Amino acid sequence: MTWLRHLAVWIGGAALLAATAIDTLAVIGRNFGLPIVGSIELVQAAVLVSGIMGLIFATAGDDHAHVRIVTDRLGRWRSSAALLGPLSMALFFLALLAGSLWLASDLWNGHEQSELLGVSWRVLRLIANLGLGACIVIALAALVRRKQP
Amino acid sequence: MIYATPATGLIGLLVLFGLILGGVRIGAALGLVGLGGLALVLSPEAALIKAGVITLDTLTRYELGTLPLFLLMAHVFFAVDASRDMFDAAARFIGHRRGGLAYAAVAGCAGFGSINGSSLATAATIGSVALPEMRRRGYSDALATGTVAAGGTLGQMIPPSGALIVYGIITETSIGDLFTAAIIPGLSQALFYLVVVWLVVRWRPDLAPASERAGWSERWRALRRIWDMIALVVLVIGGIVAGWVSPSEAAAIGAAGSLVIAALRKGLTRAMLFSACEATLKTSGMIFLIIIGALIFAVFIGVTGVTEAAGAMVSSLSLGTIGTLVVIALLLLVLGSVLDGLALMLLTTPILLPIVEATGMSALWFGIFITRAMEMGFVHPPLGMNLYVIQGVAKDVSIGRIFKGVMPFLASDFVHLFLLILVPGMALWLPTVMQ
Repeated sequence: MTWLRHLAVWIGGAALLAATAIDTLAVIGRNFGLPIVGSIELVQAAVLVSGIMGLIFATAGDDHAHVRIVTDRLGRWRSSAALLGPLSMALFFLALLAGSLWLASDLWNGHEQSELLGVSWRVLRLIANLGLGACIVIALAALVRRKQP
Repeated sequence: MIYATPATGLIGLLVLFGLILGGVRIGAALGLVGLGGLALVLSPEAALIKAGVITLDTLTRYELGTLPLFLLMAHVFFAVDASRDMFDAAARFIGHRRGGLAYAAVAGCAGFGSINGSSLATAATIGSVALPEMRRRGYSDALATGTVAAGGTLGQMIPPSGALIVYGIITETSIGDLFTAAIIPGLSQALFYLVVVWLVVRWRPDLAPASERAGWSERWRALRRIWDMIALVVLVIGGIVAGWVSPSEAAAIGAAGSLVIAALRKGLTRAMLFSACEATLKTSGMIFLIIIGALIFAVFIGVTGVTEAAGAMVSSLSLGTIGTLVVIALLLLVLGSVLDGLALMLLTTPILLPIVEATGMSALWFGIFITRAMEMGFVHPPLGMNLYVIQGVAKDVSIGRIFKGVMPFLASDFVHLFLLILVPGMALWLPTVMQ
Protein backbone atom coordinates (compact mmCIF):
# COMPACT_ATOMS: atom_id res chain seq x y z
CA MET A 1 0.00 0.00 0.00
CA THR A 2 3.05 2.27 0.39
CA TRP A 3 3.35 2.91 -3.35
CA LEU A 4 -0.33 3.93 -3.48
CA ARG A 5 0.10 6.37 -0.60
CA HIS A 6 3.20 7.82 -2.29
CA LEU A 7 1.32 8.22 -5.56
CA ALA A 8 -1.59 9.88 -3.75
CA VAL A 9 0.80 12.31 -2.06
CA TRP A 10 2.54 13.29 -5.31
CA ILE A 11 -0.69 13.80 -7.25
CA GLY A 12 -2.57 15.40 -4.36
CA GLY A 13 0.45 17.52 -3.44
CA ALA A 14 0.75 18.76 -7.01
CA ALA A 15 -2.95 19.69 -6.93
CA LEU A 16 -2.47 21.56 -3.64
CA LEU A 17 0.48 23.49 -5.03
CA ALA A 18 -1.49 24.22 -8.21
CA ALA A 19 -4.42 25.60 -6.16
CA THR A 20 -1.96 27.68 -4.12
CA ALA A 21 -0.32 29.12 -7.23
CA ILE A 22 -3.56 29.82 -9.11
CA ASP A 23 -5.31 31.62 -6.25
CA THR A 24 -2.19 33.58 -5.29
CA LEU A 25 -1.59 34.69 -8.88
CA ALA A 26 -5.30 35.54 -9.20
CA VAL A 27 -5.10 37.88 -6.19
CA ILE A 28 -1.88 39.49 -7.41
CA GLY A 29 -3.27 39.78 -10.95
CA ARG A 30 -6.51 41.34 -9.72
CA ASN A 31 -4.60 44.05 -7.88
CA PHE A 32 -2.44 44.84 -10.92
CA GLY A 33 -5.28 44.92 -13.42
CA LEU A 34 -4.46 41.49 -14.85
CA PRO A 35 -7.22 39.20 -13.57
CA ILE A 36 -6.93 35.48 -14.27
CA VAL A 37 -10.13 34.48 -16.01
CA GLY A 38 -11.65 31.28 -14.61
CA SER A 39 -9.25 30.94 -11.70
CA ILE A 40 -12.07 29.71 -9.46
CA GLU A 41 -12.91 26.93 -11.91
CA LEU A 42 -9.26 25.82 -12.00
CA VAL A 43 -9.06 25.85 -8.21
CA GLN A 44 -12.27 23.80 -8.02
CA ALA A 45 -10.66 21.15 -10.22
CA ALA A 46 -7.49 21.20 -8.11
CA VAL A 47 -9.52 20.94 -4.90
CA LEU A 48 -11.33 17.90 -6.32
CA VAL A 49 -8.06 16.15 -7.18
CA SER A 50 -6.46 16.94 -3.81
CA GLY A 51 -9.66 15.96 -1.97
CA ILE A 52 -9.92 12.61 -3.72
CA MET A 53 -6.23 11.94 -3.14
CA GLY A 54 -6.71 12.90 0.51
CA LEU A 55 -9.56 10.37 0.81
CA ILE A 56 -7.41 7.66 -0.81
CA PHE A 57 -4.43 8.49 1.40
CA ALA A 58 -6.45 8.59 4.63
CA THR A 59 -8.28 5.36 3.74
CA ALA A 60 -5.07 3.54 2.81
CA GLY A 61 -3.53 4.51 6.15
CA ASP A 62 -6.75 3.89 8.12
CA ASP A 63 -6.44 7.47 9.36
CA HIS A 64 -10.18 8.21 9.47
CA ALA A 65 -11.47 9.51 12.79
CA HIS A 66 -13.10 7.03 15.13
CA VAL A 67 -13.97 6.71 18.80
CA ARG A 68 -12.15 3.94 20.70
CA ILE A 69 -13.55 4.50 24.16
CA VAL A 70 -15.73 1.35 23.96
CA THR A 71 -13.88 -0.84 21.46
CA ASP A 72 -10.64 -0.71 23.47
CA ARG A 73 -12.48 -2.39 26.34
CA LEU A 74 -14.14 -5.16 24.35
CA GLY A 75 -11.65 -7.90 25.23
CA ARG A 76 -12.04 -10.95 22.99
CA TRP A 77 -14.67 -9.21 20.84
CA ARG A 78 -12.18 -6.55 19.88
CA SER A 79 -10.97 -8.29 16.71
CA SER A 80 -14.53 -8.76 15.48
CA ALA A 81 -15.33 -5.11 16.15
CA ALA A 82 -12.21 -4.14 14.22
CA LEU A 83 -13.81 -5.56 11.07
CA LEU A 84 -16.60 -2.99 11.33
CA GLY A 85 -14.20 -0.19 10.40
CA PRO A 86 -13.16 -1.28 6.89
CA LEU A 87 -16.53 -2.92 6.22
CA SER A 88 -18.45 0.30 6.93
CA MET A 89 -15.93 2.31 4.90
CA ALA A 90 -16.33 -0.03 1.91
CA LEU A 91 -20.13 0.16 2.15
CA PHE A 92 -20.18 3.93 2.44
CA PHE A 93 -17.81 4.48 -0.47
CA LEU A 94 -19.84 1.98 -2.50
CA ALA A 95 -23.01 3.99 -1.88
CA LEU A 96 -21.24 7.23 -2.81
CA LEU A 97 -19.88 5.66 -5.99
CA ALA A 98 -23.29 4.23 -6.91
CA GLY A 99 -24.92 7.64 -6.51
CA SER A 100 -22.16 9.41 -8.36
CA LEU A 101 -22.23 6.88 -11.26
CA TRP A 102 -26.01 7.21 -11.46
CA LEU A 103 -25.69 10.96 -11.86
CA ALA A 104 -22.81 10.62 -14.32
CA SER A 105 -24.83 8.29 -16.53
CA ASP A 106 -27.93 10.53 -16.33
CA LEU A 107 -25.93 13.62 -17.29
CA TRP A 108 -23.54 11.94 -19.76
CA ASN A 109 -25.25 13.42 -22.81
CA GLY A 110 -25.61 16.83 -21.20
CA HIS A 111 -21.96 17.66 -21.96
CA GLU A 112 -21.79 19.85 -18.85
CA GLN A 113 -18.93 22.31 -18.80
CA SER A 114 -17.76 25.07 -16.50
CA GLU A 115 -18.86 28.55 -17.58
CA LEU A 116 -15.62 30.37 -18.35
CA LEU A 117 -13.01 27.78 -19.24
CA GLY A 118 -15.23 24.94 -20.39
CA VAL A 119 -13.74 22.44 -17.92
CA SER A 120 -15.61 19.21 -18.64
CA TRP A 121 -17.67 17.89 -15.74
CA ARG A 122 -17.44 14.44 -17.34
CA VAL A 123 -13.73 14.49 -16.56
CA LEU A 124 -14.27 15.79 -13.01
CA ARG A 125 -16.88 13.08 -12.38
CA LEU A 126 -14.52 10.47 -13.82
CA ILE A 127 -11.75 11.54 -11.42
CA ALA A 128 -14.16 11.45 -8.47
CA ASN A 129 -15.53 8.03 -9.45
CA LEU A 130 -12.10 6.50 -9.99
CA GLY A 131 -11.04 7.83 -6.59
CA LEU A 132 -14.14 6.43 -4.87
CA GLY A 133 -13.52 3.10 -6.62
CA ALA A 134 -9.95 3.09 -5.33
CA CYS A 135 -11.22 3.77 -1.78
CA ILE A 136 -13.59 0.77 -2.02
CA VAL A 137 -10.75 -1.51 -3.13
CA ILE A 138 -8.51 -0.22 -0.32
CA ALA A 139 -11.21 -0.71 2.33
CA LEU A 140 -11.98 -4.23 1.08
CA ALA A 141 -8.28 -5.12 1.06
CA ALA A 142 -8.05 -3.91 4.67
CA LEU A 143 -11.09 -6.03 5.55
CA VAL A 144 -9.52 -9.16 4.01
CA ARG A 145 -6.22 -8.47 5.80
CA ARG A 146 -7.97 -8.15 9.16
CA LYS A 147 -9.98 -11.35 8.61
CA GLN A 148 -6.82 -13.37 8.07
CA PRO A 149 -5.62 -15.00 11.31
CA MET B 1 -43.13 9.46 3.46
CA ILE B 2 -44.84 7.54 6.28
CA TYR B 3 -41.54 7.17 8.10
CA ALA B 4 -40.73 10.89 7.94
CA THR B 5 -41.37 11.40 11.64
CA PRO B 6 -39.28 12.70 14.53
CA ALA B 7 -39.26 9.15 15.94
CA THR B 8 -37.36 7.97 12.84
CA GLY B 9 -34.85 10.78 13.33
CA LEU B 10 -34.43 9.83 16.97
CA ILE B 11 -33.86 6.17 16.11
CA GLY B 12 -31.35 7.30 13.49
CA LEU B 13 -29.49 9.28 16.15
CA LEU B 14 -29.40 6.28 18.50
CA VAL B 15 -28.13 4.00 15.72
CA LEU B 16 -25.51 6.62 14.89
CA PHE B 17 -24.28 6.74 18.49
CA GLY B 18 -24.17 2.95 18.56
CA LEU B 19 -22.12 2.77 15.38
CA ILE B 20 -19.70 5.50 16.46
CA LEU B 21 -19.15 3.89 19.85
CA GLY B 22 -18.79 0.54 18.06
CA GLY B 23 -15.71 1.87 16.28
CA VAL B 24 -17.23 2.66 12.88
CA ARG B 25 -15.35 5.57 11.28
CA ILE B 26 -17.28 8.73 12.14
CA GLY B 27 -17.70 9.93 8.55
CA ALA B 28 -18.93 6.51 7.41
CA ALA B 29 -21.30 6.22 10.39
CA LEU B 30 -22.85 9.62 9.67
CA GLY B 31 -23.18 8.83 5.97
CA LEU B 32 -24.52 5.29 6.35
CA VAL B 33 -27.17 6.29 8.89
CA GLY B 34 -28.12 9.26 6.69
CA LEU B 35 -28.33 7.07 3.60
CA GLY B 36 -30.24 4.31 5.36
CA GLY B 37 -32.63 6.84 6.82
CA LEU B 38 -33.20 8.60 3.52
CA ALA B 39 -33.76 5.24 1.79
CA LEU B 40 -36.45 4.46 4.36
CA VAL B 41 -38.06 7.89 4.46
CA LEU B 42 -37.85 8.79 0.75
CA SER B 43 -36.60 5.92 -1.43
CA PRO B 44 -33.30 4.07 -2.04
CA GLU B 45 -33.03 5.83 -5.42
CA ALA B 46 -33.42 9.29 -3.88
CA ALA B 47 -30.90 8.43 -1.16
CA LEU B 48 -28.25 7.29 -3.64
CA ILE B 49 -28.73 10.28 -5.94
CA LYS B 50 -28.53 12.66 -2.98
CA ALA B 51 -25.29 10.95 -1.92
CA GLY B 52 -23.87 11.36 -5.43
CA VAL B 53 -24.83 15.04 -5.59
CA ILE B 54 -23.38 15.81 -2.16
CA THR B 55 -20.12 13.99 -2.92
CA LEU B 56 -19.29 15.90 -6.08
CA ASP B 57 -20.68 19.21 -4.81
CA THR B 58 -18.52 18.94 -1.69
CA LEU B 59 -15.34 17.89 -3.44
CA THR B 60 -15.59 20.68 -6.00
CA ARG B 61 -16.55 23.45 -3.59
CA TYR B 62 -14.25 26.39 -4.03
CA GLU B 63 -14.53 27.27 -0.31
CA LEU B 64 -13.37 23.78 0.62
CA GLY B 65 -9.94 24.70 -0.76
CA THR B 66 -9.55 26.91 2.31
CA LEU B 67 -9.05 23.93 4.58
CA PRO B 68 -6.21 22.02 2.84
CA LEU B 69 -4.36 25.22 1.96
CA PHE B 70 -4.39 26.49 5.56
CA LEU B 71 -3.30 23.00 6.62
CA LEU B 72 -0.47 23.14 4.10
CA MET B 73 0.63 26.50 5.49
CA ALA B 74 0.64 25.05 9.02
CA HIS B 75 2.61 21.95 8.04
CA VAL B 76 5.21 23.96 6.14
CA PHE B 77 5.68 26.24 9.17
CA PHE B 78 5.81 23.21 11.41
CA ALA B 79 8.62 21.77 9.27
CA VAL B 80 10.69 24.95 9.68
CA ASP B 81 10.33 24.90 13.48
CA ALA B 82 7.86 27.79 13.73
CA SER B 83 6.51 26.49 17.03
CA ARG B 84 9.97 26.59 18.64
CA ASP B 85 10.57 30.11 17.33
CA MET B 86 7.19 31.36 18.60
CA PHE B 87 7.76 29.93 22.08
CA ASP B 88 11.39 31.11 22.15
CA ALA B 89 10.43 34.69 21.32
CA ALA B 90 7.74 34.77 24.01
CA ALA B 91 10.12 33.10 26.52
CA ARG B 92 12.90 35.67 25.85
CA PHE B 93 10.52 38.53 26.66
CA ILE B 94 8.63 37.19 29.68
CA GLY B 95 10.35 33.94 30.66
CA HIS B 96 12.30 35.53 33.52
CA ARG B 97 9.15 36.45 35.47
CA ARG B 98 7.66 34.06 37.99
CA GLY B 99 5.46 31.80 35.84
CA GLY B 100 6.93 33.52 32.77
CA LEU B 101 7.43 30.31 30.79
CA ALA B 102 3.79 29.40 31.40
CA TYR B 103 2.77 32.82 30.03
CA ALA B 104 5.16 32.18 27.13
CA ALA B 105 3.58 28.78 26.49
CA VAL B 106 0.11 30.38 26.29
CA ALA B 107 1.47 33.10 23.98
CA GLY B 108 3.26 30.46 21.90
CA CYS B 109 0.04 28.45 21.62
CA ALA B 110 -1.88 31.58 20.56
CA GLY B 111 0.85 32.44 18.02
CA PHE B 112 1.10 28.92 16.63
CA GLY B 113 -2.71 28.70 16.71
CA SER B 114 -2.80 31.61 14.30
CA ILE B 115 -0.92 29.59 11.69
CA ASN B 116 -2.48 26.26 12.51
CA GLY B 117 -6.15 25.43 13.01
CA SER B 118 -5.84 22.39 15.22
CA SER B 119 -5.88 22.02 19.01
CA LEU B 120 -4.05 18.71 18.98
CA ALA B 121 -1.27 19.94 16.70
CA THR B 122 -0.83 23.12 18.74
CA ALA B 123 -0.66 21.21 22.03
CA ALA B 124 1.75 18.63 20.61
CA THR B 125 4.13 21.08 18.94
CA ILE B 126 4.26 23.75 21.63
CA GLY B 127 4.31 20.99 24.25
CA SER B 128 7.38 19.38 22.70
CA VAL B 129 9.21 22.72 22.92
CA ALA B 130 7.84 24.27 26.11
CA LEU B 131 7.49 21.30 28.45
CA PRO B 132 11.17 20.25 28.61
CA GLU B 133 12.18 23.89 29.16
CA MET B 134 9.59 24.48 31.91
CA ARG B 135 10.49 21.30 33.72
CA ARG B 136 14.22 22.01 33.40
CA ARG B 137 13.63 25.32 35.15
CA GLY B 138 11.80 23.67 38.02
CA TYR B 139 8.16 24.30 37.08
CA SER B 140 5.58 21.99 38.63
CA ASP B 141 4.77 19.23 36.14
CA ALA B 142 1.03 19.71 36.75
CA LEU B 143 1.20 23.44 35.96
CA ALA B 144 3.48 22.91 32.96
CA THR B 145 1.41 20.17 31.34
CA GLY B 146 -1.93 21.78 32.25
CA THR B 147 -0.88 25.10 30.70
CA VAL B 148 0.11 23.54 27.39
CA ALA B 149 -2.90 21.19 27.24
CA ALA B 150 -5.29 24.11 27.79
CA GLY B 151 -3.26 26.52 25.64
CA GLY B 152 -3.41 24.02 22.79
CA THR B 153 -7.16 24.55 22.50
CA LEU B 154 -6.45 28.10 21.31
CA GLY B 155 -5.46 26.55 17.98
CA GLN B 156 -9.09 25.70 17.34
CA MET B 157 -10.45 29.17 18.10
CA ILE B 158 -7.85 31.64 16.85
CA PRO B 159 -8.26 32.03 13.09
CA PRO B 160 -7.62 30.28 10.80
CA SER B 161 -9.52 27.50 12.51
CA GLY B 162 -10.24 24.14 10.90
CA ALA B 163 -13.40 23.72 12.97
CA LEU B 164 -14.78 27.08 11.85
CA ILE B 165 -14.07 26.28 8.19
CA VAL B 166 -15.98 23.00 8.51
CA TYR B 167 -18.83 24.73 10.37
CA GLY B 168 -18.97 27.42 7.69
CA ILE B 169 -19.25 24.80 4.96
CA ILE B 170 -22.00 22.72 6.58
CA THR B 171 -24.13 25.68 7.69
CA GLU B 172 -23.32 27.89 4.68
CA THR B 173 -22.14 30.65 7.00
CA SER B 174 -19.45 33.00 5.69
CA ILE B 175 -16.03 31.62 6.70
CA GLY B 176 -14.65 35.16 6.64
CA ASP B 177 -17.31 36.32 9.13
CA LEU B 178 -16.62 33.31 11.33
CA PHE B 179 -12.89 34.09 11.40
CA THR B 180 -13.64 37.72 12.23
CA ALA B 181 -16.09 36.69 14.95
CA ALA B 182 -13.52 34.33 16.50
CA ILE B 183 -10.87 37.01 17.05
CA ILE B 184 -12.21 38.52 20.30
CA PRO B 185 -13.25 35.18 21.84
CA GLY B 186 -9.85 33.72 20.89
CA LEU B 187 -7.86 36.59 22.35
CA SER B 188 -10.01 36.82 25.47
CA GLN B 189 -9.60 33.08 25.99
CA ALA B 190 -5.82 33.52 25.85
CA LEU B 191 -6.16 36.42 28.30
CA PHE B 192 -8.19 34.22 30.66
CA TYR B 193 -5.41 31.61 30.58
CA LEU B 194 -2.81 34.27 31.38
CA VAL B 195 -4.92 35.40 34.35
CA VAL B 196 -5.19 31.77 35.52
CA VAL B 197 -1.39 31.39 35.42
CA TRP B 198 -1.02 34.69 37.32
CA LEU B 199 -3.48 33.58 40.01
CA VAL B 200 -1.94 30.12 40.38
CA VAL B 201 1.57 31.55 40.66
CA ARG B 202 0.46 34.14 43.21
CA TRP B 203 -1.20 31.42 45.26
CA ARG B 204 1.72 28.95 45.02
CA PRO B 205 4.93 30.80 43.98
CA ASP B 206 6.95 27.59 44.34
CA LEU B 207 5.13 26.06 41.34
CA ALA B 208 6.91 28.32 38.86
CA PRO B 209 10.25 29.81 39.91
CA ALA B 210 11.61 32.98 38.32
CA SER B 211 14.71 32.59 36.17
CA GLU B 212 17.39 34.70 34.50
CA ARG B 213 16.41 37.62 32.28
CA ALA B 214 17.36 37.50 28.58
CA GLY B 215 19.27 40.51 27.24
CA TRP B 216 17.73 42.80 24.62
CA SER B 217 20.07 41.53 21.89
CA GLU B 218 18.79 38.01 22.54
CA ARG B 219 15.21 39.27 22.52
CA TRP B 220 15.60 41.06 19.17
CA ARG B 221 17.27 37.99 17.68
CA ALA B 222 14.28 35.87 18.76
CA LEU B 223 11.87 38.46 17.37
CA ARG B 224 13.73 38.54 14.04
CA ARG B 225 13.11 34.78 13.74
CA ILE B 226 9.34 35.24 13.76
CA TRP B 227 8.60 38.64 12.23
CA ASP B 228 8.08 37.18 8.75
CA MET B 229 5.56 34.65 10.06
CA ILE B 230 3.74 37.32 12.07
CA ALA B 231 3.62 39.58 9.00
CA LEU B 232 2.16 36.75 6.90
CA VAL B 233 -0.46 35.92 9.54
CA VAL B 234 -1.45 39.59 9.83
CA LEU B 235 -1.72 39.80 6.04
CA VAL B 236 -3.80 36.62 5.80
CA ILE B 237 -6.18 37.24 8.72
CA GLY B 238 -6.22 41.01 8.18
CA GLY B 239 -7.01 40.45 4.51
CA ILE B 240 -10.03 38.33 5.38
CA VAL B 241 -11.28 40.65 8.14
CA ALA B 242 -10.91 43.74 5.94
CA GLY B 243 -12.58 41.96 3.03
CA TRP B 244 -9.61 42.33 0.64
CA VAL B 245 -9.45 38.62 -0.06
CA SER B 246 -11.79 35.67 0.34
CA PRO B 247 -10.85 32.99 2.90
CA SER B 248 -9.84 30.64 0.06
CA GLU B 249 -7.56 33.28 -1.46
CA ALA B 250 -6.13 34.08 1.95
CA ALA B 251 -5.39 30.38 2.48
CA ALA B 252 -3.57 30.26 -0.86
CA ILE B 253 -1.56 33.39 0.01
CA GLY B 254 -0.75 31.83 3.40
CA ALA B 255 0.42 28.59 1.81
CA ALA B 256 2.47 30.44 -0.83
CA GLY B 257 3.94 32.75 1.81
CA SER B 258 4.89 29.84 4.06
CA LEU B 259 6.71 28.18 1.14
CA VAL B 260 8.61 31.41 0.44
CA ILE B 261 9.55 31.77 4.14
CA ALA B 262 10.67 28.13 4.23
CA ALA B 263 12.80 28.73 1.13
CA LEU B 264 14.36 31.86 2.69
CA ARG B 265 15.19 29.80 5.78
CA LYS B 266 16.74 27.17 3.47
CA GLY B 267 14.22 24.63 4.72
CA LEU B 268 12.32 24.06 1.48
CA THR B 269 13.50 20.61 0.43
CA ARG B 270 11.79 17.88 -1.56
CA ALA B 271 11.50 15.74 1.58
CA MET B 272 9.98 18.61 3.56
CA LEU B 273 7.47 19.38 0.82
CA PHE B 274 6.52 15.71 0.57
CA SER B 275 6.01 15.43 4.29
CA ALA B 276 3.96 18.67 4.45
CA CYS B 277 1.73 17.50 1.57
CA GLU B 278 1.42 14.04 3.17
CA ALA B 279 0.25 15.48 6.50
CA THR B 280 -2.10 17.90 4.71
CA LEU B 281 -3.72 15.18 2.61
CA LYS B 282 -4.10 12.87 5.59
CA THR B 283 -5.95 15.45 7.66
CA SER B 284 -8.00 16.86 4.80
CA GLY B 285 -9.02 13.36 3.60
CA MET B 286 -10.18 12.55 7.10
CA ILE B 287 -12.16 15.79 7.40
CA PHE B 288 -13.68 15.56 3.89
CA LEU B 289 -15.12 12.13 4.66
CA ILE B 290 -16.74 13.49 7.82
CA ILE B 291 -18.12 16.52 5.95
CA ILE B 292 -19.67 14.34 3.21
CA GLY B 293 -21.16 11.99 5.81
CA ALA B 294 -22.44 14.89 7.92
CA LEU B 295 -24.11 16.60 4.96
CA ILE B 296 -25.96 13.39 4.04
CA PHE B 297 -26.92 12.91 7.70
CA ALA B 298 -28.15 16.51 7.93
CA VAL B 299 -30.53 15.95 4.98
CA PHE B 300 -31.96 12.89 6.72
CA ILE B 301 -32.37 14.71 10.02
CA GLY B 302 -34.03 17.63 8.21
CA VAL B 303 -36.54 15.36 6.44
CA THR B 304 -37.61 13.61 9.65
CA GLY B 305 -38.58 16.85 11.37
CA VAL B 306 -36.70 15.90 14.53
CA THR B 307 -35.18 19.38 14.74
CA GLU B 308 -38.60 21.03 14.77
CA ALA B 309 -39.78 18.56 17.40
CA ALA B 310 -36.71 19.22 19.56
CA GLY B 311 -37.21 22.96 19.10
CA ALA B 312 -40.85 22.73 20.14
CA MET B 313 -39.91 20.66 23.17
CA VAL B 314 -37.28 23.18 24.25
CA SER B 315 -39.75 26.08 23.71
CA SER B 316 -42.34 24.33 25.83
CA LEU B 317 -39.88 24.33 28.72
CA SER B 318 -39.97 28.18 28.67
CA LEU B 319 -36.34 28.44 29.72
CA GLY B 320 -35.75 31.75 27.99
CA THR B 321 -32.73 32.51 25.81
CA ILE B 322 -30.04 32.18 28.46
CA GLY B 323 -31.60 29.09 30.05
CA THR B 324 -31.88 27.36 26.67
CA LEU B 325 -28.29 28.21 25.76
CA VAL B 326 -27.01 26.99 29.13
CA VAL B 327 -28.84 23.68 28.64
CA ILE B 328 -27.32 23.39 25.15
CA ALA B 329 -23.88 24.16 26.57
CA LEU B 330 -24.28 21.41 29.17
CA LEU B 331 -25.46 18.96 26.51
CA LEU B 332 -22.44 19.79 24.35
CA LEU B 333 -20.08 19.35 27.28
CA VAL B 334 -21.56 15.97 28.18
CA LEU B 335 -21.43 14.77 24.57
CA GLY B 336 -17.97 16.28 24.20
CA SER B 337 -16.70 13.95 26.91
CA VAL B 338 -17.32 10.91 24.72
CA LEU B 339 -17.31 12.26 21.14
CA ASP B 340 -14.49 13.60 19.02
CA GLY B 341 -14.76 17.40 18.59
CA LEU B 342 -15.53 17.43 14.89
CA ALA B 343 -18.08 14.64 15.25
CA LEU B 344 -19.73 16.57 18.06
CA MET B 345 -20.03 19.65 15.88
CA LEU B 346 -21.28 17.83 12.79
CA LEU B 347 -23.69 15.62 14.70
CA THR B 348 -25.31 18.30 16.81
CA THR B 349 -25.31 21.33 14.51
CA PRO B 350 -28.25 20.21 12.30
CA ILE B 351 -30.34 19.65 15.45
CA LEU B 352 -29.19 22.47 17.71
CA LEU B 353 -28.79 25.31 15.21
CA PRO B 354 -32.55 25.71 14.56
CA ILE B 355 -33.17 25.70 18.32
CA VAL B 356 -30.48 28.32 18.86
CA GLU B 357 -31.84 30.43 16.00
CA ALA B 358 -35.29 30.24 17.57
CA THR B 359 -33.85 31.91 20.68
CA GLY B 360 -32.79 34.85 18.52
CA MET B 361 -29.10 33.98 18.22
CA SER B 362 -27.47 33.72 14.81
CA ALA B 363 -25.63 30.88 13.06
CA LEU B 364 -22.50 33.04 13.25
CA TRP B 365 -22.68 33.22 17.05
CA PHE B 366 -23.45 29.51 17.32
CA GLY B 367 -20.35 28.68 15.26
CA ILE B 368 -18.16 30.40 17.83
CA PHE B 369 -20.14 28.96 20.74
CA ILE B 370 -19.98 25.35 19.55
CA THR B 371 -16.28 25.66 18.70
CA ARG B 372 -15.66 26.97 22.23
CA ALA B 373 -17.64 24.09 23.73
CA MET B 374 -15.78 21.66 21.46
CA GLU B 375 -12.45 22.98 22.70
CA MET B 376 -13.43 22.20 26.27
CA GLY B 377 -13.98 18.57 25.25
CA PHE B 378 -10.29 18.46 24.36
CA VAL B 379 -9.28 18.98 27.97
CA HIS B 380 -11.90 17.21 30.04
CA PRO B 381 -11.92 13.46 30.70
CA PRO B 382 -12.59 10.78 29.71
CA LEU B 383 -11.80 11.68 26.08
CA GLY B 384 -9.75 14.88 26.63
CA MET B 385 -7.49 14.31 23.61
CA ASN B 386 -5.10 17.14 24.50
CA LEU B 387 -4.38 15.50 27.86
CA TYR B 388 -3.23 12.33 26.10
CA VAL B 389 -1.25 14.29 23.52
CA ILE B 390 0.60 16.05 26.33
CA GLN B 391 1.17 12.74 28.11
CA GLY B 392 2.75 11.53 24.87
CA VAL B 393 5.25 14.39 25.19
CA ALA B 394 5.77 14.11 28.97
CA LYS B 395 5.54 10.35 29.38
CA ASP B 396 6.50 10.29 33.06
CA VAL B 397 3.61 12.57 34.10
CA SER B 398 0.37 10.71 34.87
CA ILE B 399 -2.93 11.64 33.28
CA GLY B 400 -4.20 12.44 36.77
CA ARG B 401 -1.43 15.04 37.28
CA ILE B 402 -2.10 16.57 33.86
CA PHE B 403 -5.81 16.78 34.63
CA LYS B 404 -5.05 18.37 37.99
CA GLY B 405 -2.96 20.96 36.16
CA VAL B 406 -5.65 21.67 33.60
CA MET B 407 -8.45 22.09 36.17
CA PRO B 408 -7.97 25.84 36.82
CA PHE B 409 -7.94 26.45 33.06
CA LEU B 410 -11.07 24.36 32.61
CA ALA B 411 -12.77 26.43 35.32
CA SER B 412 -11.84 29.58 33.39
CA ASP B 413 -13.23 27.93 30.24
CA PHE B 414 -16.62 27.57 31.94
CA VAL B 415 -16.59 31.25 32.89
CA HIS B 416 -15.54 32.22 29.36
CA LEU B 417 -18.27 30.08 27.77
CA PHE B 418 -20.88 31.58 30.08
CA LEU B 419 -19.60 35.04 29.22
CA LEU B 420 -20.05 34.24 25.54
CA ILE B 421 -23.70 33.45 26.29
CA LEU B 422 -24.24 36.57 28.39
CA VAL B 423 -22.38 38.89 26.02
CA PRO B 424 -22.96 37.66 22.45
CA GLY B 425 -21.30 40.87 21.25
CA MET B 426 -17.96 39.24 22.09
CA ALA B 427 -18.43 37.28 18.86
CA LEU B 428 -20.82 39.49 16.92
CA TRP B 429 -19.43 42.99 17.42
CA LEU B 430 -16.34 42.76 15.21
CA PRO B 431 -18.07 41.26 12.14
CA THR B 432 -20.74 44.00 12.41
CA VAL B 433 -18.11 46.74 12.61
CA MET B 434 -16.10 45.34 9.71
CA GLN B 435 -19.16 45.20 7.48
